[in-house]
Amino acid sequence: MEGFLHSNSETMSKIMTVDILSSIKGAQPSEAVNKLFEEIKNAQPSVGKAVSNVARNAVSIDDLRTDVVIKSEAIEKQIIRENFPKEKNGYLVVSKVIED
Amino acid sequence: MESQIKKIHEQLVSKEITCSDLVQQKLALLKENKYNTVNSLLEITALEKAAAVDAKIANGESIGLLEGIPFGIKDVYMVQGTTTTASSKMLENYKSAYTATAIQKLLDAGAIPLVKENCDSFGHGSSSENTIFGAVKNAINPDLVGGGSSGGSAVNVAKEYTVFSIGGDTGGSIRQPAGYNNIYGLKPSYGRISRYGLMAYASSTDCVGPLAKSIEDIRIVLNTMSGKDAKDQTTVASEDITAEEIKNGSNTNTVGYFKNFIEGDAIDAKVKADFVASIDKLKAQGIEVKELDFFKGNTLVSTYYTLAMAETASNLSRLDGTNYGNRIEAENLIETYAVTRSESFSEESKRRIVGGNQVLSQGFSDAIYLKGLELRDQIAANFEEDFKEVDVILSPVTPGAPPKIGDSLKDPHAMYLSDAYTVGFSLGQLPTLTVPQGTDTGLQITAAKNKENKILKFANFLKDTL
Repeated sequence: MEGFLHSNSETMSKIMTVDILSSIKGAQPSEAVNKLFEEIKNAQPSVGKAVSNVARNAVSIDDLRTDVVIKSEAIEKQIIRENFPKEKNGYLVVSKVIED
Repeated sequence: MESQIKKIHEQLVSKEITCSDLVQQKLALLKENKYNTVNSLLEITALEKAAAVDAKIANGESIGLLEGIPFGIKDVYMVQGTTTTASSKMLENYKSAYTATAIQKLLDAGAIPLVKENCDSFGHGSSSENTIFGAVKNAINPDLVGGGSSGGSAVNVAKEYTVFSIGGDTGGSIRQPAGYNNIYGLKPSYGRISRYGLMAYASSTDCVGPLAKSIEDIRIVLNTMSGKDAKDQTTVASEDITAEEIKNGSNTNTVGYFKNFIEGDAIDAKVKADFVASIDKLKAQGIEVKELDFFKGNTLVSTYYTLAMAETASNLSRLDGTNYGNRIEAENLIETYAVTRSESFSEESKRRIVGGNQVLSQGFSDAIYLKGLELRDQIAANFEEDFKEVDVILSPVTPGAPPKIGDSLKDPHAMYLSDAYTVGFSLGQLPTLTVPQGTDTGLQITAAKNKENKILKFANFLKDTL
């Protein structure tokens, strides 16, 4: 099995394999996982049962939280900087600019 | 077993022990232990907090029930300033910038965190072998796995290195290791405890929960961590469960069990015989027991893994070495992402990310992902019907005994199938407790959503009955 995406735009049309979609070099679909998918394809949904909304966890409009701006504490900012993979002359260095 | 929290609290208040001695003793046990349960120790802060508790007691001040109680944290929770690795190479040196809500509530109550605990990387596994810190060994037989993914947490509790530990359960990751190590482990209802600060695996089933040696300790820790949190909009309000309401009372329950769980070939003969014997004991006590119909184990496992893989592929796409994590530079940005992710994710995590991207791809999403969602709705609807007829559902935790260390890595599909009895309740977002009774790997008690009180009460009944 191979994953792919189609773009609606003809000029952007691309087929992407799972290694590209996953950003993992040489990634291949696995037999262990494909067996699970086969089971789903062949599963017979039960009949006569009401459809549940149990897995719908969207918050109601009346219960939305208020937007507030919370300033990060100094320690939080410092740790975020420490976690950044690369620093040069006091600047955090990203990997490379996006070329395309 | 009686409440360890209450026992230690009384010993501290009566000055029979000091908190500093207690914490030092537990830290020494964790340091020396050969079960690979520890990713990092929080020694300095733990000893500082213990000294503060001792000073309070010496001054004649009162202390809260959890104040000074040493506990463990699965290494997927943010605790500000601590290394949070998710047992992965990707985040080997990652430091939490903030603290998870559930953990903050325990810290506010005065509990003392000792250790970030070993687990399967990003929760991807059922054996705690998918980790850069070495396979977690079973507390009862160290040749066997500790279970997963919260294996380090379960073993620490079983060996009494921690009084309780906080695990994470997406498809069984608290309940299965609790069963493998003969302790209690609760997956609460989805939304009862905030997920803010828990590293996301599959967000629609991820749950925070306690592992402990007594029902009372599970109750105390559950109450402390529960509640609505503006930082996790899926949280729901809940009321504290009192010790009184979960006492073993005389009112009878109706208990259900899924007959197909114990009729198939997958179940080990001893687990089956022990489960049937437990059901017979309940009947002998005058409890009404009903057989229930349910989906096949293979369907449950496939539905769960399909949805969980789709969610984890999405959640872990942020791990590309840009803002944090183990960045490996390559010739351009896209290569840098790919090399970083290829080198830093484990084989099992890669398998799940690739599987998730497969099912989310156009051409496959209708046949697999959308059908998985449909099956999930039907599984949940099935539970709703069941709980009109029964108060609790009893089931085995696992089809068999814990595997030997090394076996699960050789056969991932067999490992997935071993989750057959836990994943259904995750999909239903139901509360389920593993109790260390009934079969060699325990029993699960499940109730309708937000009915944790019924589960704990029935657990007290089982403790006195089986």
